[in-house]
Amino acid sequence: MKSQYKHVMARRTILRSALGFSALALNGIMAEEESPLPDGKPHFIPKAKKVIWLFMRGGVSHMESFDPKPKLNKYAGKAIGNTPYESVLDPAKIRKLRIPIKGDANGVTRTKIFPLQTGYRKYGDSGIEVSDWFPQIGSCADEIAFIRSMWTSDNNHGAQVQFHSGRHFLDPRVPTIGAWINYGLGSLSENLPQFINIGPRYFDKKDAHYLGPAYEAVNLRIDPNNPLEYATPTNGMTSKDQLENLNLTNDLNQLAAKQYPLDPVIEARMKSYELAYRMQTAVPEALDLTQETAETQKLYGLEQPETKAFGQQLLAARRLSERGVRFIQIMHGDGAAGAWDSHSGLKSGHAKLAKQVDLPTAGVLNDLKRRGLLDETIVVFATEFGRTPGTQGADGRDHHAFGFSVWMAGAGIKGGVVNGATDELGYHAIQDPHYVTDIHATVNSLMGIEPRKLEVAGHKRLDRDYGHVINDILT
Amino acid sequence: MSNRSGLQFSVMLMVWCCALLVKTSVGTAQNTIDYLVDVKPVLKQRCFACHGTLKQEADLRLDTVSAMRDNEILGKDSTLLMRITSLEHDVRMPPEGEPLKAHEITAITKWIAEGAVGPEDEQPEAAPKSHWAFQTIKRPAHGVPGGDMNLIDAYFDARYKTAGLVPQPAAERTILLRRLYLDLTGLPPTLEQLASTEKLPQVIANLLNSPQYGERWARHWMDVWRYSDWYGLGNEVRDSQKHLWRWRDWIVNSLNENKGYDQMLREMLAGDEIAPDDPEVLAATGFLARSWYKFNRTSWLDNTIEHTAKAFMGLTINCAKCHDHKYDPITHLDYYRFRAIFEPHHVRVDAMPGEADLNINGITRVFDGNLDAATYLHLRGEESKADKSKHIEAGPPAFLASEAWLPANPIQLPLRAWRPDVQEFFQQNHLQQAEATLVKAEAKLKDMKLKLAIAEEKHAANIPSSTELPVSGKIVFVDDFSEKQPALWEIVGNDFKYQDGRLSITTASLEKTFLRSKVNHPNDFELSLSFRTTGGVKWKSVGIRFDVDQSGINSHFVYASVADGGKVHLAHTVAGVDHYTNAVSWLPIQLNQEYTLNLKVRDRLINVTLNGQFLFAFELPTRRPGAIQLMAYDATADFDAIEIRHLPEGIMLKKAGVKPMTEVTPAQVELAEAELVLAKAEYTFALERISADNASLKGIGQGTEENARRMLLDVKIAKAQLDRLDTKTAEKAAEMISKLEGDRAAGNYPSYPPLNASSVSLLTTKNKDALPSDNGYPSSSTGRRTALADWLTHPEHPLTARVAVNHIWLRHFGTPLVASVTDFGLRAPEPRHQELLDHLSVELIESGWDMKSLHQLILSSKTWQRSSSNLGVDQNTRILDESNQDYWRMNSRRMEAQVIRDSLLSMGEALDLTRGGPPVMASPDVRRRSLYYFHSRDNRSKFLNTFDDADVFGCYRRSETIVPQQALAMMNSPLATAAAKQIATTFDTDLSREEFVRTAFLAILARQPNDSELTVSLSYLNKHPTREHFITALINLNDFVMIR
Repeated sequence: MKSQYKHVMARRTILRSALGFSALALNGIMAEEESPLPDGKPHFIPKAKKVIWLFMRGGVSHMESFDPKPKLNKYAGKAIGNTPYESVLDPAKIRKLRIPIKGDANGVTRTKIFPLQTGYRKYGDSGIEVSDWFPQIGSCADEIAFIRSMWTSDNNHGAQVQFHSGRHFLDPRVPTIGAWINYGLGSLSENLPQFINIGPRYFDKKDAHYLGPAYEAVNLRIDPNNPLEYATPTNGMTSKDQLENLNLTNDLNQLAAKQYPLDPVIEARMKSYELAYRMQTAVPEALDLTQETAETQKLYGLEQPETKAFGQQLLAARRLSERGVRFIQIMHGDGAAGAWDSHSGLKSGHAKLAKQVDLPTAGVLNDLKRRGLLDETIVVFATEFGRTPGTQGADGRDHHAFGFSVWMAGAGIKGGVVNGATDELGYHAIQDPHYVTDIHATVNSLMGIEPRKLEVAGHKRLDRDYGHVINDILT
Repeated sequence: MSNRSGLQFSVMLMVWCCALLVKTSVGTAQNTIDYLVDVKPVLKQRCFACHGTLKQEADLRLDTVSAMRDNEILGKDSTLLMRITSLEHDVRMPPEGEPLKAHEITAITKWIAEGAVGPEDEQPEAAPKSHWAFQTIKRPAHGVPGGDMNLIDAYFDARYKTAGLVPQPAAERTILLRRLYLDLTGLPPTLEQLASTEKLPQVIANLLNSPQYGERWARHWMDVWRYSDWYGLGNEVRDSQKHLWRWRDWIVNSLNENKGYDQMLREMLAGDEIAPDDPEVLAATGFLARSWYKFNRTSWLDNTIEHTAKAFMGLTINCAKCHDHKYDPITHLDYYRFRAIFEPHHVRVDAMPGEADLNINGITRVFDGNLDAATYLHLRGEESKADKSKHIEAGPPAFLASEAWLPANPIQLPLRAWRPDVQEFFQQNHLQQAEATLVKAEAKLKDMKLKLAIAEEKHAANIPSSTELPVSGKIVFVDDFSEKQPALWEIVGNDFKYQDGRLSITTASLEKTFLRSKVNHPNDFELSLSFRTTGGVKWKSVGIRFDVDQSGINSHFVYASVADGGKVHLAHTVAGVDHYTNAVSWLPIQLNQEYTLNLKVRDRLINVTLNGQFLFAFELPTRRPGAIQLMAYDATADFDAIEIRHLPEGIMLKKAGVKPMTEVTPAQVELAEAELVLAKAEYTFALERISADNASLKGIGQGTEENARRMLLDVKIAKAQLDRLDTKTAEKAAEMISKLEGDRAAGNYPSYPPLNASSVSLLTTKNKDALPSDNGYPSSSTGRRTALADWLTHPEHPLTARVAVNHIWLRHFGTPLVASVTDFGLRAPEPRHQELLDHLSVELIESGWDMKSLHQLILSSKTWQRSSSNLGVDQNTRILDESNQDYWRMNSRRMEAQVIRDSLLSMGEALDLTRGGPPVMASPDVRRRSLYYFHSRDNRSKFLNTFDDADVFGCYRRSETIVPQQALAMMNSPLATAAAKQIATTFDTDLSREEFVRTAFLAILARQPNDSELTVSLSYLNKHPTREHFITALINLNDFVMIR
């Protein structure tokens, strides 16, 4: 009978938390009786264990990054209606847009063709074309699967939320891909959270939603003095004092446990303190980039002012990933909308931002590869939407939801391939179009997760929420 | 190639293979497929919504084998199989979503091949109307067995007898007192309260009558009702609304007054209709205002619909936005009938007495803005696919409609509801402003004339003059700091001493220690402060803040700083951020030297002198009523005296930016005269327009609009006269004057709009359906929301009371009676304790929805008072009901985030029990109760967030996680550190170590330590005698954050 008791308690109360040790949902709060919690094991043999998720906030121009469109140069300055491609403006093709902010000055159709603001060239054995703003990423082309046929349905920056959750900004908030991974899989680290966010967010600062707070991303800062909230004592205790103080707490908790037998909370609480104490050391250690060689630091561009900030984040990401953090989400681009939002001055804006991310991103790919970590890690490079083939104002591009590019590399992913295509103007994804959740489906399939097995009672997911695995890019 | 067609191909292949398989196995007569395990769940999941009890599309039901047989779909060329495997879009079932999975089709195929066997006694799905939660609530037929016994105890006693369970005994008294105090007030009992021998029923009654009860339970209901402060950029409000705190205060007050739950619902949904001229009630409609969403009217109403239904009825109406509900008998049309109830309503902010700026002060409330707004069904839930061929009438879900739903009757509104500008306080306020301008203009003219006279005299006598007149204002506030004066000051922080006849701030901090006056200073005042700066690290700044508002985050301040060679500087604090002005005098300020800082403030003008030496004059950008606050920023200081006087009119202040007195010319006097004429005209116009409104709208007095319009013409002429004195505008002004004089001669008077006493929150786009017309607010309301409220609170409504009781029970016991607190629909199985739920619901309704009496009933039960420990539990009981579904012991619960913080402050005697008012920004220095913290999408307390604070989008039930971030917060946060320190100071330093340990255990855990605990504690203290660190260990104990 004893074992039966244990079984019930496990089902009812023990949750794996952000740190992967027991977090409790007392009295079954988190878990409806109908949805037992996942056991933390993959549903099938995974090809990857970890994800590094790079997200460019604001909307990267697909034509000037990974989907070059020479026809834009040919027809520069012409109205789309006066080109052979006028059919891209067919209203039937654009009806899938759901407009959250009616009458907004941004996110509208732009019909005067804006030429490419940079050149592009072929890279590697695959000969895949990448723009001149991303030469370092280009040099990794043979490691990368480019997906040139993404689409989304929000013409405004709420699409950032949509890219992570699969739901339009006007719909209720649902968990993001990182939270699902955190929920579905057990921890690989005893000392570190398994879902980490670094960098600015605006439209939704949460990930877990109905999965509950235990599955939220833990925010870290690249700040050696304050990497994590409340990680430094403020009461003047030395590390040794604090350890002895925690030992007292631990002893007293154990004695109290005799008065409250068979109470799983006490043990979980004690464990949370042990791990908190370990985290206090482990997080600053993981973020201590000075432990890296000068050569490695250079690989991420730490010595250059433009690349330093993002380089530090990516080097930190590699160190965290190496130490077992499952999902590291890095947001690039300040401001509410996101820095990539180039409604004007696209050339100078994109050139500057690309410079910030190009070298460090190639750095993390190369570094993971030489350490053998790329065999167990997926790197995703994404953005919420592309930008209009037409010009906005004098020298900008507007938001564009009908076709844009992302890429993936690493464990289980073919290198040097291109999946999908947009039309000649880069307007619509016309070949193998992928809604944003296809990326989630692909990540899940590599991580060994069957998302339909993770459903939570009372929160129905739609088919579209699950997406379709992009099999063509898988090894 | 699309993935989908690939999938379908594989499905087809599977079917084909299965067909082969089936063929070969014919005749073995052994069934390999279990209908109940392999087939029925698939049909239930994918087909029943349209072919079951809710709907019978094509007259077909799939919920029993016999029904399928009767429809001949299981036969040789099974229609069922054909439809689920078809590749044709129009033929395939189910029509929505993915096709059935290959293994599901395999199972169904085999099952049919094996003869489609089902259980003999298979019952069709029950009719939705027979669902337990949709039945009228009735008192249990057999009554209460225990006579006078508490009905909860009687219910469980009977259950224990039948089931053979032995409940745990009552918790020990101090643990029970702690549980009770935390449950009802959210604050732990003090040592005195723990020592009291008062009988429990009396303690319960006292706590229910304490104002902290309302605060504690308000936070629960704020979770359920989705309280959120506004969110937006600058003054742009995107989510929720400003001034929503008035709704929060309404919740607190309503609970303390023990307003009926039914009345609370009515006021929240329709306060503007049932008490349109009572701001106290209007505040309740914050419940609806909270769902405001700037960018999309449909998203806004979707939230209103979803959460009104979930909070009050436990129905997931939101699932019917795009199609009929898949599980409950709620149709797509029902969703839009429910929407039509809210279609005309809109949000606005009305002026309230006091500050006139609606961004700073006002009441947020709803009103029916467009009485004719049409509701249309949105096909597939898409706003762009509104079916405009049919107007949808307001109503409840049809399956719940009964005679209790009375059609909405339009309600005529009183004047002040649709003309907020004619409210008396607003008229008075407007007049006072006009009068103030007038008085100022008069004073200015007087000042100018005096200066002109002085200047002329000076010219005549050629002697220097002084403009300083003797000070003789009436004293309003004086303190020589010889002793603590709690009546005058609110004292924050511990690092101060009254010694040697003065007040000393003894530790330099960034203003963590300060004194704030309990009363506001006059608007025009003179202040003298004598002080000495005695030390500090860098800045060593000492001075005074004035116009300090209630939140403390807005004020002006003048300070003397020793750093950088010394200076006296004027600065502003706006929303907690300091802004430094160019009003600064560089002069050496010495340590330990006495200074007297003198401020004279009239309206926005301030003059500052130090030791009688004039330093600067400055024009303050804003003024607001406020208090004064002694400041020492990174400084230690002695304060010797402070004195505040009214500033008499005779005192002349130097003008801003003009250090030496300027010469006044006759032209300036002429200008001042014209300004006075204008001010007089404006004042008269203000009087006349109010008289006109009062006469025409209220039937008071003799005012006429014509009089007012005539006065407005005078205003315009006076304005033009003023403009004529400026060479730049003189020419145009002269033309204007002759035109206006012509108008006057012709009796042609200008018209004017009503005063601005209200502002409507506008969507980004002008949504015609939601906005009021340009002619002001409608003078009637549709009454739809009143109809909804009356229906919901009708005693025969099957859901309202059950849902309320379930929420209350959950918050007393830690587990609800109905697990899905927001879904009482068909997916909620009949609860284990339905009889108890119904009995309590009847009690609630029959008591007049009296929540205090329900609390009393629950808390005085033996059931609630049981020990939460498994110690000594009857083994059989534990085996029979290990998850405590029958409440044979109490559930231990973790404190909610707010209770943790409030308890820490309270135990350190540092909690500020001030009630109500605008929210305060979270900060380690703020000591107000946590429910007063700003709580919005983007702005909330990190500490509270760590402990599963309510999600602002909806929190019907708090989570209780255990994550290491919580441990870090209790180990390292400034709040926890400060609390440990403060708690340590509450213990007498004369206590022996053992006495200290015993008292600390009692104060923090409400129990004595046992011998082992004492030994462990003493051995720690022998090594680490710092008592504050021992307190740190205690507040980190599981038994502190748990309510046992």
